[in-house]
Amino acid sequence: MSARTEKSPKRAGASARFQGPLLRVEELCLHFHASYGVVRAVEGVDFELARGQTVAVLGESGCGKTSLARAILRLLPRNIARYSGKVFLEGTDIMKLSEERFRHDIRWNKISMVSQSAMNSLNPVLKVGYQVAEPLLLNHMGKDQAFERARQVFGIVGVPPAFLDRYAFELSGGMRQRAIIAMALIADPVMVILDEPTSALDVLTQANIMNALKRIKQELNLNFMLITHDIATSSELADEVLCMYAGQLVEHSKAERFYREPLHPYAQKLMASVPTLRVDKKPEFITGQPPSLFNPPEGCRFAPRCHKRFDRCQEEPPLFVHGDETVKCWLYENR
Amino acid sequence: MENNTLLSIKNLQTYFELKRWGFLSAGFVKAVDGVSFELAKGESVTIVGESGSGKTTLLRTIMGLAKPTGGEMVFDGRRLNGERGQMGRDTRWLRSQVGFVQQDPYGALPSFMNVRRILREPLIVNKVKKEEQEHRVRESMEEVRLIPADDFLPKFPHMLSGGQQQRLVIARAIILHPMLIAADEPVSMLDASVRVEILELIGRIQRDHNLAVIYVTHDLSSVRYFSQRAFVMYAAKMVEKADVREIVNNPLHPYTQVLLNAIPDPDAQNATRFRDVPPGEPPSLINPPAGCRFHPRCQHIIEGLCDEEEPPEFEPEPHHFVECWLYK
Repeated sequence: MSARTEKSPKRAGASARFQGPLLRVEELCLHFHASYGVVRAVEGVDFELARGQTVAVLGESGCGKTSLARAILRLLPRNIARYSGKVFLEGTDIMKLSEERFRHDIRWNKISMVSQSAMNSLNPVLKVGYQVAEPLLLNHMGKDQAFERARQVFGIVGVPPAFLDRYAFELSGGMRQRAIIAMALIADPVMVILDEPTSALDVLTQANIMNALKRIKQELNLNFMLITHDIATSSELADEVLCMYAGQLVEHSKAERFYREPLHPYAQKLMASVPTLRVDKKPEFITGQPPSLFNPPEGCRFAPRCHKRFDRCQEEPPLFVHGDETVKCWLYENR
Repeated sequence: MENNTLLSIKNLQTYFELKRWGFLSAGFVKAVDGVSFELAKGESVTIVGESGSGKTTLLRTIMGLAKPTGGEMVFDGRRLNGERGQMGRDTRWLRSQVGFVQQDPYGALPSFMNVRRILREPLIVNKVKKEEQEHRVRESMEEVRLIPADDFLPKFPHMLSGGQQQRLVIARAIILHPMLIAADEPVSMLDASVRVEILELIGRIQRDHNLAVIYVTHDLSSVRYFSQRAFVMYAAKMVEKADVREIVNNPLHPYTQVLLNAIPDPDAQNATRFRDVPPGEPPSLINPPAGCRFHPRCQHIIEGLCDEEEPPEFEPEPHHFVECWLYK
C-alpha cells in the first residue's frame, strides 16, 4: 500500500519497459552428484508466468519442487553435476549474470524466498526486527530508514510493530511465520517463492496466514510461487498450477481447470487422492512408487503407474499445448 | 453392553509438573484435564485437535507412557490407576494389548535393525516361543502387504519408501495381536497419494480383526472415511463428541465450527475469498482462562457465564455431546 506507492517509480519504470511475461523458464536442468550416480532432480522444465499471477507447484515429495525453486534463485549446493537452461526475469536472462551481480540485483531484491520451516531458524539471540531489516542494512540503507521499512512490512503481514523488539522465542508459531514473510517482502521484490509456508502450522493458524497472503497478493500485486504438497491448501492462493512428477513438469494449467478436471493422468490421480470434507467422494490412491531420479524409466516417467498407458508411452512425450494448458502426455497429441 | 466396553475413561487428568524448588512448585502443565469417554471393542474413533491440545498426551496416557495424575481408566475390565507396585505388571500387560503407530515412521524404526529383527523385538520381549516367531513375523507382514516377505526381511529401514516404512510400523503394532491400536498422526508425514492407502490398510485390519482404533489427527478431512465417532479436543478439554457425520455436517461447538470452516477443499474459488477464522492462539495450559477455554476467541460468548463458569457436558441431540453453555 503506502510502502508500494513510495517505491513505485522504480517498479513502474521497469514494467513500462518490459511488457512480456514476468518469468520465463526454458529447459531448466539441475542434476546433483551423489555417491551412487547422478540424481536428475529437475529436468527440462519450461514455463511462463505472467505478472501478478500466483503459481502453485504441486507434486509428491522428491519430485523436484524445491530443487526447481533453488535453481531459479541459484541457491545451489556444492555437488552440482549439471545446471543449465535459461531463466528470464522481466526479459533478462538471469542465468547469464555473474554470481556477484546475481547476489546484488536479483536475490532478495527481485526474487525472495521463504524456505521450508524457516520460522524455526530465526536467530535466537537477535531481535526479530533486526533480522527482518538485515537485508536492507546489508544493502547500505540507513538504520532508521531500514527499521521504518521493517515497521511497514510488519504492518502488511499483520504483526504488531511492538514485536520488532522481541526475540524469536517470545513469538508464537504463526507470528514467527509472519515475521519470515515480512523478511521476504522487505526489499520489495517482484516475486516471492514460498516453500511449504504453512505445513508446520495448525489448521486455524494456517488459515490466518493464508488470509494474510491473499491480502498481500491483492494489495501489492506480487507474484507468489507456492511450493506445497498440500493440494487443498494450495487452492487458497493459486491462479495457475505447475504439476511436477519425477523431476519433470507434467502439467501447467489454470487453477479453475486443474482443481476441477486436470488433464494429465498423474494429476487426475493426484486430485482423486485428496480427501474432501464437504464433497462426498471416496479418495483413491496411486499404486506403485515414483521412479528413482538417478535412473528414471525411458519414455514417459509416469507410464508404469498410469491407467491410460498405451504403446506410444514408450517414447518420451513433449509438452503439448491443449487450449490454455500445456501437458506432457501423448493423449493430447492430436488435439 | 457392559462387557462390550474395551476402554472406559472418567475424568482423566495428566499434569506435568514444572520446575520444583523444595516445597515450592512452579505449577503444572495441564495437558489432559478432565476427559471422559468410552470405547467399545472393535470401534474406531478419531481424536481431532490442534497441536498442544493434549491429544498426544491423552494417547500416551492410555498406553501407559505417561502417568495419569487423576481420574479413572478401565481397560478390558482391569482398573489402571497407576498405583505404586501394581504399575509395572499392569503396564506390561497393557502394552501387549495396545499397538502403537507413530507419526514419523523413519524416526520410529531403529536404523541399525533389519525388518526381521524389528518385527521380532516385541515377540522376544513378550517371550513368544522361538519356533513361533518366524511364523508370526510373516503373518503380520502379509497382513500389511509387505510381500513377498523374503524380499523385505533382510532390508533396513532406509531401504524402504515412506509408505513401506509406515506399513512396517503397522506390522510391528499388530504383531502381538493387540485389542487396541493407537495411531498418532499415522499419515501426516506421508504424501497425499500414499495417505489414503495407509488409512485403508488400517481400516481393513480393524475390520478383519475386530480391533479398536484410536486415531489422532489434526486433519479433519481424512476422518470421515475412517472412523465412526470423532472427539474434538481444545486446550486439554474434550469439547465435542459425536458421530463423524454429525461433526462434519452439524457441528455444535463454536470451536468445531471454526475448525471446519478453516479447512479448504481443493477449489479454485478459494483464492478469491477470505476465510472466516478467529484471531488469536490457543491458551496456555499452565494458566488456562477461567470458564470455557474457548471464550476469548468465541463469537457466541455469553457475558458473565462463559468467562466465569466451566461448561459441563450437555447432550442437545442424542449421542452428540458438547461442552458449551449455548446448549444448556
